[in-house]
Amino acid sequence: MESLLTSEKMQTLLQVMANSGIERAANGLSEMIRQRIVMTVPTVSVVPISSVPERVGGPENMVVGIYLAAEGDLSGHVMLILNYHDALALVDLLLEQPEGTTTTLDPLARSALAEAGNLAASFFLNGVAAALGLSGRPTPPAVIVDMAGAILDIMLITAGQLGDEVLLLESVFQRAERQLKLYFWVLPDLLPLRSLTGESN
Amino acid sequence: MEQVITVGLGELAVSDHPEAVLVAFGLGSCVGVAAYDPVRKAGGLLHAMLPQHRNGDKNLTKFVDTGIPELLNRLLALGARREQIIWRYAGGAQMLAAPGLSNRFNIGAQNVGMTREVLARYALRVVGQDTGGHQGRTVRLFIADGRVTVREVSGLERLL
Repeated sequence: MESLLTSEKMQTLLQVMANSGIERAANGLSEMIRQRIVMTVPTVSVVPISSVPERVGGPENMVVGIYLAAEGDLSGHVMLILNYHDALALVDLLLEQPEGTTTTLDPLARSALAEAGNLAASFFLNGVAAALGLSGRPTPPAVIVDMAGAILDIMLITAGQLGDEVLLLESVFQRAERQLKLYFWVLPDLLPLRSLTGESN
Repeated sequence: MEQVITVGLGELAVSDHPEAVLVAFGLGSCVGVAAYDPVRKAGGLLHAMLPQHRNGDKNLTKFVDTGIPELLNRLLALGARREQIIWRYAGGAQMLAAPGLSNRFNIGAQNVGMTREVLARYALRVVGQDTGGHQGRTVRLFIADGRVTVREVSGLERLL
């Protein structure tokens, strides 16, 4: 499985998938909040599982995860990760209130985040589908506030991913001068992707 | 000076260094199993992901059923004595209930069940546990005196 993820053809495919997906996600979010959101070209990396929590501030860092599974020809798992403070700022953006208004993630704030995650993930999947010619649709989102390490457990175990490496997309959202760092953890089911790269193993 | 040794996902560490603190950060459905020999002043911490070893996986410490004997052996190799070692474990949360998520399998509960079973099978002495719930935990084992602490997200650290 490792050799498959890191093969050159697969890397190219994943980058195409990520670019297309992230671009659509940014457009979708821009429409949602009626303000232009720019997202940087995502970096796609295949990283050891154990290093993922470090990428988002350490395993004990409190983060917000928005989880969705993708179903259809294109199946897999998507987890959007935001730092806790960035998540609060995103809620203010979504609810069109001055930054700093939201100080805790109450049910309304969680619902706003779930909505944003749903939208970003749907657009992301559409982008991937357009790039690859496979279709996928997201399941309803779940919002989790916990230590990064604990959220990682959910992804790994839900996905039944027992390899030692995962795919991590990292992109920065920017609206005017405000930056929000958003991580997409993506665990694609590799079978459909494998057929696209024409690799048998 | 404390010497922090991070025990990552699917890893195991043992030490007899008096300043060492073994830490498993952010355990979700994973379990952390701490073992300590108060006479030898040596201990170890296991950070296991899944209950049962899968054929062919070389990493024994990823799994509860193979990780616990491995921890015991590593401690014995350090000069600890089996009958002196005390055991504590924490973790195994059910992270959340949502469509498509792991609650169908509840790996957290399975990890805890397997931990209990394996410790009993080897007749190991358990003196503390903190399992279940819906939140991640960080577990620390202090080699100096064998105390084990558990901290939940945004919560205080408490003694196990």
